Amino acid sequence: METMISVEDLSKTFKIQRRSTGFAGAVKNIFHPTYEYKKAVDGISFSIKEGEMVGFIGPNGAGKSTTVKMLSGILHPDGGSINVAGYIPHKQRKEYVANIGVVFGQKSQISWDLSPLDSYEVIKHIYRIPEKLYKDNLERYTELLDMKDFIDRPVRQLSLGQRMRADIAAALLHSPKIVFFDEPTIGIDVVGKDKIRKFIKTLNETDNITMIFTTHDMQDIEQTCQRLIIIDDGKKLYDGSLENVKTDCVSTRIIEAEVENMPSGLDIENTQITHDESTGKLTVMFDTDKISTSDVMTALMSTHSIKDISIKEPGIDSVIRDIYEGRIKVG
Amino acid sequence: MDRYLQFAVIRFKSKTAYRFDYFLGILNSLLSFVVYYSIYKALYGDAQSIDGVSFSMVTTSFLISLGLSSAFHKNEMFLQDKIKQGTIANELLKPVNFKLRMLFEDAGEGAFNVVFNFLPTALIAAFFASISAPSGAVNMLLCIASVILGYIVLWQISFIVQCLSFRLFSVWGLVTIKNVVINILAGAYIPMWFMPEKIRSILRFTPFESIYFMPVQLYLGQLGQWEILFGFLRQIAWIGGLYIIGELCWRSGIKRLVIQGG
Repeated sequence: METMISVEDLSKTFKIQRRSTGFAGAVKNIFHPTYEYKKAVDGISFSIKEGEMVGFIGPNGAGKSTTVKMLSGILHPDGGSINVAGYIPHKQRKEYVANIGVVFGQKSQISWDLSPLDSYEVIKHIYRIPEKLYKDNLERYTELLDMKDFIDRPVRQLSLGQRMRADIAAALLHSPKIVFFDEPTIGIDVVGKDKIRKFIKTLNETDNITMIFTTHDMQDIEQTCQRLIIIDDGKKLYDGSLENVKTDCVSTRIIEAEVENMPSGLDIENTQITHDESTGKLTVMFDTDKISTSDVMTALMSTHSIKDISIKEPGIDSVIRDIYEGRIKVG
Repeated sequence: MDRYLQFAVIRFKSKTAYRFDYFLGILNSLLSFVVYYSIYKALYGDAQSIDGVSFSMVTTSFLISLGLSSAFHKNEMFLQDKIKQGTIANELLKPVNFKLRMLFEDAGEGAFNVVFNFLPTALIAAFFASISAPSGAVNMLLCIASVILGYIVLWQISFIVQCLSFRLFSVWGLVTIKNVVINILAGAYIPMWFMPEKIRSILRFTPFESIYFMPVQLYLGQLGQWEILFGFLRQIAWIGGLYIIGELCWRSGIKRLVIQGG
């Protein structure tokens, strides 16, 4: 398969004004602003093949969206190079964007005052979509995204989930070869998320569209992508198959317990124990491949009287932190 | 070009969604016409003409200026709002020239304003004020051509000021000052006939005179061939110069773009 997207040592720095607070601070902001520089993307490289579906994951402010915005030609990179389907996005923006579709979960692309259908008509003209392709696509997306009920209602009257689906259809009407989804499931309920995920997966499988999917939601990635790129602090932490991360992280459990008496010399084999003295909270992290949950519980209860206890699977943030700090080795 | 026309059409359509706005708009235009009309009626008193300018020439000039200011629509907060809210990201994803798209959207709203605001106002005004008739078909065509050139000049100045929002984030103050200055220099408030000769001789080299005043003069048939030719050449030269400045501002702005809000 051909390489569709190649990114080499990409970086982007933002200049941010540091605002002082209070009245004196406000005066200072006007006459003597201070700035700091934040490296949003710091030397990322990767390449994606045609038809691949890649999940970008990372905490807020990790640089996912900035990367996607550079890939879609909106932002100019400070360093490094991007090549997507033979185009340099920020230099050939007008020609390039006719080949891609982008969905921003936080920014709607369709007109607030008009119905999705009206907006689609405009898109048809802007992208010069042939009548037949337009009709076929519209029919197909209306069906797949279940939009019949609201396609002719003004967008301002739609629910967030409906608007998101209308937005996704809008980004795909011109049958782009490459699609970027930037947090398309943000703020959407479980049913809505499921519809969107299924649609994206279907599209990737049947149309061989190359896709990048950014999210905070591990579920999104699990249900759609085979490959995963983890980004934190502007750097790439992991790039590889989803399976690897899953097998390594799925076995990790965390027990949080509130204990009455102070634990003294507590040491259970194959676990990591931290204790917060001020709240009396005890955190035990372990790997279920090495020690079973019931063994840990028994060990805990034999030495402590427990007021409250909960068992957690680590969230994506802690998985990333673990990868970052080398506690979990992947790839 | 058809894809850009779409932006004009869509703007025109979505303006029709707010009916109350539309009636108030007519009332607003009518009021400002009546105010100017009354002031100059008092100034003229019984006199037929002042400095060779008749009262009906002045009212016609006001009416045309009124029409032009509604036709010369510029959404001056467009770029600022898009940058502030980060929705400029969506705009940049459209496979179109950003500037042309902006221009056509504004022109669409301008067309709406002329059809639904200026024409009704002019019809009502013609009942109580004496308005001069156009001075001939050729002059009318030249008048329309000069209106279009004037619009492009005005629009490009607005675009350049808007481009400052890449650095300043808020350009409202600048836009307001700019508009007052242009309106005075272009004779939208005081007809050029009454400007001191010294100021007029300087203004002759700026593009402002042709924006509001040249269409009025063409409409009234007051210009000779050479004056018309000079006027048009001056506008075209200014359009070229402003285009270059606008492109430079846009390119340097887009490089430092920050998308707000994730």
